[in-house]
Amino acid sequence: MALFDPQPLHPALWLASQLTKGATSCVDTGIPVLSHQLPGGGWPTGVLTELLLQQPGVGELRLLKSTLASLNRPAALLQPPYAPQALGFELPPQQLLWIRNTGKAADSLWAAEQILRSGSCGAVLLWQQHIRNESLRRLHLAAQCGEALFFLLRPIAAAQDSSPAPLRLALRPAPGGINIEFVKRRGPQRDTPLFLPLTPTLLQRHAPVDRPLPAPVTARSVLSELVG
Amino acid sequence: MVLEQEGVLAVSYRAHLMGVRPGMRRSGALMLAPEAQMHERAPQQEQEALHAVALAMLQYTPQVAEGEGATLLLDVGASLRLFGGIRRLCRLVRDSLQKLGFSGVLGVAPTARGAWLLARAGGGRTLKLDSLLRRLHRLPVGLLPPLQRHQRWLDGIGCLSIGDLVRLPRPGLQRRCGIEVLEMLDAAQGLAPEMHEWLAAPPSFKAKLELFGRIENTDLLLAGACRLLQQLTGWLCAHQFAVSRIRLLLEHERGREACPPTPVEVMLAEPTWRDEHIVRLLKERLAKVELPAPAIGLALEAAQVEPMAPLSDSLFPEPGGNAQDRQRLFEVLVARLGAENVLQSYPKADYRPEVANRWVPLHEKVRPADIAAQMPPRALPRPAFLLPKPIQLLMRDHRPFYCSPLRMVSTAERIEAGWWSETQTRDYFIAEGEDHAYYWVYRERTPGTEETRWYLHGLFA
Repeated sequence: MALFDPQPLHPALWLASQLTKGATSCVDTGIPVLSHQLPGGGWPTGVLTELLLQQPGVGELRLLKSTLASLNRPAALLQPPYAPQALGFELPPQQLLWIRNTGKAADSLWAAEQILRSGSCGAVLLWQQHIRNESLRRLHLAAQCGEALFFLLRPIAAAQDSSPAPLRLALRPAPGGINIEFVKRRGPQRDTPLFLPLTPTLLQRHAPVDRPLPAPVTARSVLSELVG
Repeated sequence: MVLEQEGVLAVSYRAHLMGVRPGMRRSGALMLAPEAQMHERAPQQEQEALHAVALAMLQYTPQVAEGEGATLLLDVGASLRLFGGIRRLCRLVRDSLQKLGFSGVLGVAPTARGAWLLARAGGGRTLKLDSLLRRLHRLPVGLLPPLQRHQRWLDGIGCLSIGDLVRLPRPGLQRRCGIEVLEMLDAAQGLAPEMHEWLAAPPSFKAKLELFGRIENTDLLLAGACRLLQQLTGWLCAHQFAVSRIRLLLEHERGREACPPTPVEVMLAEPTWRDEHIVRLLKERLAKVELPAPAIGLALEAAQVEPMAPLSDSLFPEPGGNAQDRQRLFEVLVARLGAENVLQSYPKADYRPEVANRWVPLHEKVRPADIAAQMPPRALPRPAFLLPKPIQLLMRDHRPFYCSPLRMVSTAERIEAGWWSETQTRDYFIAEGEDHAYYWVYRERTPGTEETRWYLHGLFA
């Protein structure tokens, strides 16, 4: 017997074997394989999304690069572990806002909340080592005020803790790309990680053939003394 | 409690509970409440307070006049639609009064004298002339100031309310009590026109506030500053100005060592005439101020004003908020975190990666054309994260080692520049560790030495 499909009744109802479709608006990830595995078909806007990293630099920004570029709105980087380099992001430098570590964790949480509430940034990326559950809840509420993409990047050890984020992905590097584990999503449990091929763009395995063209010389363009 | 000529004029709630009532003698009041604080009535301060309120009220209407007996008359006929109706306007006026730290009674009526009488009688709101007349006729006659001398005579003839007074023959009333009574009655009932002297806002703004004690807590200072900001808002609205720089001076006690006032200056990128944004900025600024001594007074001045540019109600608002909202957000962030911690990218046309990756504070104006001029002509393999200082890598089996042996996966990018300041002669590679993370490493090329040194400089996150 075919099971009754509750999704058309209300977006908050779905069967355990289904991915939810449209509870929140989403932004395309730019990677079709990943989009098919996410509820709504993309990164959800206006909610807290957690990316759990094995170590900083596993490929989290390569994963988000095309999404950030498609937003056409400023992206705020809060307390990244190292200095960000604008040329490494594939978006115009004037769309990047870097909020440095002031030494107080409360400052960056406060800044994230202010940015989310004002709604003037398209994406907010917050790096945090330890974050309390009530802070998570507060950030999740602040994210709901606006339409911004909000990613919280935390160590993978936090996957054991509970979190109000509706989408939590764990990223581990793999040969030639990254493995994505779906720790939590509104949809069926997926145990096998999803492999995404992600290498640094402009990775040149062979030496570039750089042939500068000689400047065209027209008659009388060179002084006669030089030609001598 | 407040005293005037040895008699109690007004009492606080606690004194009232102890049995002190207005009209008592000083000694009697002291018997009932020995620890009560006594203050002589200060007409000068009352006048200043009334002026402060009048200045703040200018934000609701340009027509504010002073009435008799510590009242203010506001002509709000033209402001009703802007502030969303009379109920909302009354609430705003009440909120403003509360922020200023005063209590007040609101009377609303179609005529100024009618509103004045209602306010004196304890407040009330009438919008139509006939309902005003009904309420007026029930009020006691003693409210009209020229009749207070004739109170006993009026009691004697049984004329207790204004309704009774209206029914008396006019010529007799004029002969006994003077012409002002009739003029006031006519004005209150809308039969005669009223003339007011509207207050004019001073040409420059500087407001002072004396605090009640020696204050060290910035939260309390903020409450005082809010009060001054209310006055500033009224002044700005009256002049159609927007403020772009304000200065708050925290005055200290003048003891043996004179301590100059501590200035707190707030610059606004986008001029504003509403106080909410300034309050947020001041809150963050005050939280960072270190007071050398307790403050006893506050002074606020508008250092720089510009003509007000009204908001345009665009039909389709931008989804990401407009440029003013963004500016406001950036100001709030800078106010708390400091200008050196909120940065925007402004790459520099230089081969050396450290120099090219330039970040400048947000308040520096960078035009998009300037950025475009500094960008490399074609995309370069650059990591998203750059280490603040390159880390020298260990060597194992002639290969650089960072947590695991690194394998070069790209060709070299030779950078040789900076002979004018810091020379760099480096070959950059993209390297892959055994954990499959990508690193940006370089080999230092020093001519004349056999030893090769490898450094880690970035992460392709």
